[in-house]
Amino acid sequence: MSEAVATFFRVPSELPAFQAFRGETAPSFANQAELECAKILDYYGVPWQYEPTTFVLAEDADGRCLEGFTPDFYLPDQDLYVEITVMKQTLVTKKNRKLRKLRERYPDVRIKLFYKRDIERLAQRYRLELAS
Amino acid sequence: MTQLGREIAADYAGREPLLVAALKASMIFAADLSRSIPIVHQIDFIELAGYDGAATGGHQQIRLLKDLDMPIAGRHVVIVEDVVDTGLTLNYLCRTLGLRNPASLAVATLLDRPYRRLVDELPVRYVGFTVPDELFVGYGFDLDERYRNLPDLHVLRA
Repeated sequence: MSEAVATFFRVPSELPAFQAFRGETAPSFANQAELECAKILDYYGVPWQYEPTTFVLAEDADGRCLEGFTPDFYLPDQDLYVEITVMKQTLVTKKNRKLRKLRERYPDVRIKLFYKRDIERLAQRYRLELAS
Repeated sequence: MTQLGREIAADYAGREPLLVAALKASMIFAADLSRSIPIVHQIDFIELAGYDGAATGGHQQIRLLKDLDMPIAGRHVVIVEDVVDTGLTLNYLCRTLGLRNPASLAVATLLDRPYRRLVDELPVRYVGFTVPDELFVGYGFDLDERYRNLPDLHVLRA
């Protein structure tokens, strides 16, 4: 893993004291981009939860979950799920497919996917140091 | 600009709206918009501290750097924005000003990027241009506080 990629994925062990977090258990972010998004939501006072829901996308005959999708954030005031991906655009096919399935199976669920490009734009705007 | 000014004038005829320009990037747009509104209106300025991950090292709460000079209770307020993107800043501004009991609250923005909106229920009523995912400088937009003075809007190529 290159140093830049390692920086991008590194999450500090000590998290900030979030003000707008509305979950019950402390979030465990998968990467730095998720943490920065949480901090931005918190900064602007937008209530948020981290991975509160797993949507079943496929199940076997006994009803056991074969495929699920857990969006990163839920904004209760907006009734909106947000998924953050830091994968390259060429590698997001699988995630896009899951998102399509979710929209087919749960048409009333509102979800937005933030791609790496979107995160980079936010990083530029908010002067985030996501990658060296 | 002329079209936006006419629309606002038609909607607020006889109501003497107050334009609230969010500093700094909207200052030039606000100046041009104000001159394009052919009815009596007032203008005031507000500035919020933007999120600055680099400077703060992370976490803080949004705050006002400059508050309005005049009360807005009972006034018809039009917030003037440079760009609405995620809507997080505008959402905070609308919530903050909404607590002061204006008669109405609407938003005029020069640029709009609706595809990245996280907060949808915003009173964005007047939009200059819906733009693609580009960075802009000039006409009030900056790059590290430079180039705001460029008379036209330019797409920034990295």
